[in-house]
Amino acid sequence: MRTLRRTWRLRPARIALAVLAVIALLAVAGGALAPHDPLGQHPGDMLRGPSGAHPLGTDYLGRDVLSRLLAGTGSSIAGALEAVGVAMLLGIVPGIASVWLGRTVEWTAQRAADTLMIMPFTIFAIAVVGALGNGLHQAMIALGVLFAPLYFRVTRAAALGLAQAQYVEAAELMGASRWWILRTHVWGKILPTVAVTTAQAVGQALLVVASLTFLGLGVQPPAPTWGGMLASDLGYLAQQPWAPLVPGAAIMITVGALNVLADAVRDSGAAAGDLRETGAAPPPVPVAPPNGPAADSTGPRAGSDDARVPDRDSHARTGAATGTASSQEVEQRVTTG
Amino acid sequence: MSRPDDPVLTVDGLDVTVPGGAHAVRGVSFTLGRGESVGLVGESGSGKSLTCRSVLGVLPTGCAVSGGRITLGAGATDSAAELTSFTRKQWDAVRGRRVGAVFQDPASYLNPSLTVGRQLVEQLRVGRGLGRAEAHARSVELFTAVGLHRPEEVFHQYPHELSGGMLQRVLIAIAVSCAPELLIADEATTALDVVIQAEILELLQRLRAEQGLALLLVTHDLAVVAESCDRVIVMYAGEIVEDGPTAEVLAAPAHPYTEALLRVASIGEWGRRTLDIIPGRPPRTGAELPGCRFADRCAHTVARCREAPVAPYPLDSGHRARCLRPAGLLGASPGPVTAPAAAPVPRGATA
Amino acid sequence: MSAPAPPRPPRAARLAPVRRRLAPVRRRLAAAPRPLGRTLVITATVFVLASLLTFSLGALSDANPAAAVLGDQATPADIARMERQFGLDQPLYAQYLSWLGRALTGDLGVSWFTGVPVADSVAQALPVDLSIAGLALLLAIVLGGGTGIVAALNDGGRIDRAVTLVCSVLSTLPPFLIGIVLIVVFAVQLGALPTGGYVPFGESPGQWLRYAVLPAFALSLDAAASMARQLRTSLVGALRENYVTGARMRGFSARRVLFGHVLRNAAGPALSVLGVSVPVILGGAVVTEKIFNLPGIAQLSLQSAEQHDIPVIQGTLLVTVAVVLVANIGVNAALGALNPAARRQPSGGGRGGDGGPA
Repeated sequence: MRTLRRTWRLRPARIALAVLAVIALLAVAGGALAPHDPLGQHPGDMLRGPSGAHPLGTDYLGRDVLSRLLAGTGSSIAGALEAVGVAMLLGIVPGIASVWLGRTVEWTAQRAADTLMIMPFTIFAIAVVGALGNGLHQAMIALGVLFAPLYFRVTRAAALGLAQAQYVEAAELMGASRWWILRTHVWGKILPTVAVTTAQAVGQALLVVASLTFLGLGVQPPAPTWGGMLASDLGYLAQQPWAPLVPGAAIMITVGALNVLADAVRDSGAAAGDLRETGAAPPPVPVAPPNGPAADSTGPRAGSDDARVPDRDSHARTGAATGTASSQEVEQRVTTG
Repeated sequence: MSRPDDPVLTVDGLDVTVPGGAHAVRGVSFTLGRGESVGLVGESGSGKSLTCRSVLGVLPTGCAVSGGRITLGAGATDSAAELTSFTRKQWDAVRGRRVGAVFQDPASYLNPSLTVGRQLVEQLRVGRGLGRAEAHARSVELFTAVGLHRPEEVFHQYPHELSGGMLQRVLIAIAVSCAPELLIADEATTALDVVIQAEILELLQRLRAEQGLALLLVTHDLAVVAESCDRVIVMYAGEIVEDGPTAEVLAAPAHPYTEALLRVASIGEWGRRTLDIIPGRPPRTGAELPGCRFADRCAHTVARCREAPVAPYPLDSGHRARCLRPAGLLGASPGPVTAPAAAPVPRGATA
Repeated sequence: MSAPAPPRPPRAARLAPVRRRLAPVRRRLAAAPRPLGRTLVITATVFVLASLLTFSLGALSDANPAAAVLGDQATPADIARMERQFGLDQPLYAQYLSWLGRALTGDLGVSWFTGVPVADSVAQALPVDLSIAGLALLLAIVLGGGTGIVAALNDGGRIDRAVTLVCSVLSTLPPFLIGIVLIVVFAVQLGALPTGGYVPFGESPGQWLRYAVLPAFALSLDAAASMARQLRTSLVGALRENYVTGARMRGFSARRVLFGHVLRNAAGPALSVLGVSVPVILGGAVVTEKIFNLPGIAQLSLQSAEQHDIPVIQGTLLVTVAVVLVANIGVNAALGALNPAARRQPSGGGRGGDGGPA
């Protein structure tokens, strides 16, 4: 929790948290705050520009854009959170377990992670929705499954580093049970990492949810979502070229705040490893260049063998997080390590 | 030995500043004659590496030559080149072709993902315009010449597959491949063990004799200099404190710092950190002191030492020292220096 | 290390030294690149796992062909007949094996609705996505590589910071929004390019480019941004290496040093990023297709999802997975070519044999 306290001291983190708090409020109370009925159609007021009555104008059915934006916040955010929750459940436990459960489990778990990682989000989500029915939960569970390797890799990398750390070995030698070691040593170290990953994952999930709702997956059209609003704006670009900017800005601000927060948590230390690495390609053979033979002779720190592999392809699906110095430093360490 | 008439390298009043503007090298002047071997000696931070990197035009970021001239070739001839004003293009025509360089940690100076043979071939093709087959044949010759066994095999190996001594030979082969006039060896033998070190030094001497190379040997180890240099230049805190023919300087060091270095070197254990034995620490890089820069660590310091800058004082036959004592300016006789008794001086002490 | 049960102290004591001895071996294995054989084993495993996942989607679904086609009018007899017709009355493992076996020979079954072979529909739609995604990949390499190099050479300068900022902003945008903006600017406002549609490459490469360039550009930006950032970082690191000084010292031109030496060593991580971008680009292609109204995989899979047409859903997903895997093998091959040194096992204690203390 020291990390979190340190994070709070960073200005960007406070701003990001404030923004996220506002968004959370809108997600909970957005529908109630909406000045108009988000579904109310007014054929007389179609495609109006911003005005006193409709601060953000109206859409092609004369619905108030601001109201739809506010009402859509909840489902957009809830969707992303659900997906990330599923991903945490499916990723963290196998990630830690794979380190201690022997080579076979380890190998299988890694291949399973590889498999999920090569699944294109949208195509997989379409398939899941097609097979299991078009509902928000089906779509978000599909998304969560695909996000799970992110947590798997991150926790695994952190746990691997710890598994061979001397104090853990010492505890093992003294007869501490695995569960006890896990609780006292491992969990505390992994938590900040998980926090960073979560901030980034929610941001990424939000983007994918927008894509899915844009395609009409998960949420059926009349219900407002940010992605759905973009989809309906698409048909009327000639009349209202600026319209996509409204939901676009909402997505951008939210994702941006989450990225800033993720970087801030990482800046305040402790978060081990690069978190943007969902990524290894299926045969994850990032043959990073041997940076001088020194790399061979001194070798990586104990136990970082596997940790290094995901590290190397630092960017991943969740790839392009914000480009602050911190993330670049991480990348650099990764590439020169 | 007198000043050579056919200078390969003339450094005149070189000043180098480090980030922050401090002068890390101040007024360094020396000359290297054709085929001459000169040792540049000093502890880390003395400015010897900055000096040789200025000659190569590869100062670390933020460091800059702020004064003086570095001339390659004889002053008036066509091939003479004023390096300090060079553009990148002009440098490219000099480096590798007229000046070669080898360094400590040879492994890091080779591209890890190319075979060593390919790297030598590249140098031959770029520097001498050889064709592919020619360059290959010449590479194998060069590898043989620098004493690599099974050169054909080495040709196809990657740097991480070779030992430190072999890598240094590869680097030397690359450095001399275009028959340069000057070879700079910056601590080139420091990381090697004693036997390999001797072999590499011998190789450098042989190349010097065969190719008429001038050799600038940068080292912190006077023993290396004693073995293989005609002249020695001793640097301390950015200045040349003593220079002269090796035999004379080593037999009768005129500067207390040289004397101390010599004592350390002759103790025998080379790997040891040289300056643990000389009390105190060198002044902060670029510190502005009114007088002698060694005064704080010297056993013979008197008030005059700290008053004004001490100029290099010529002794006999090209031997100079930046000290008042041997110059006879202190009135005392320049007898052998006894063990320094100065109390350790607080770090970074300035005027 | 092997048993899941918590080890008693003596056992841990026995294991600890073993683990210590193993560590360097494993480290060396990890440092060495995976040889081709291992890559193929992993790829095959991943493909089998992916096919299992794909198949299980169908198995978990309660959709059946009779209900899907006949709707409410389906009688139990109809259902049984059609299930038999599509082989759905057999045990799951048998269904899976025959499905996978036929898929490997290029037979993905037939649509429940139209009876059209899935392979044919996919073969018709896939080139659209492949050509767009291919162009996007190319653009990503050119744009990302170019900006990455420029930013690295300008390390800390104005261009560098601008590139970083743009990349950060791009990462907060849903990729399809960029597509929409591009349509607004280039098609609606400037009228320079069509808002949507598609002409096959084989028909008219010029026209194909006119239709493909906007979607491909929109798709490429995300990957380009990731690649630019990764390349910049690795380049900045690589440029500080001694061998760069060494190469400069040999009188090599700036261009030769950058392209012949530095890029070779710095491109690896960027290439890995590109490999990871392949599924992202393919997935993004689906959304882009909808925006630009392209007759690709998205239309096919969205339509089949609506109709619960399981064979088409499964076939589309499996083919996409195969495409990603092939792309990944390509990326690995490129990595190997880039860095042949890594293909060899480091010769253990070779270095330092006579190197003495460093």
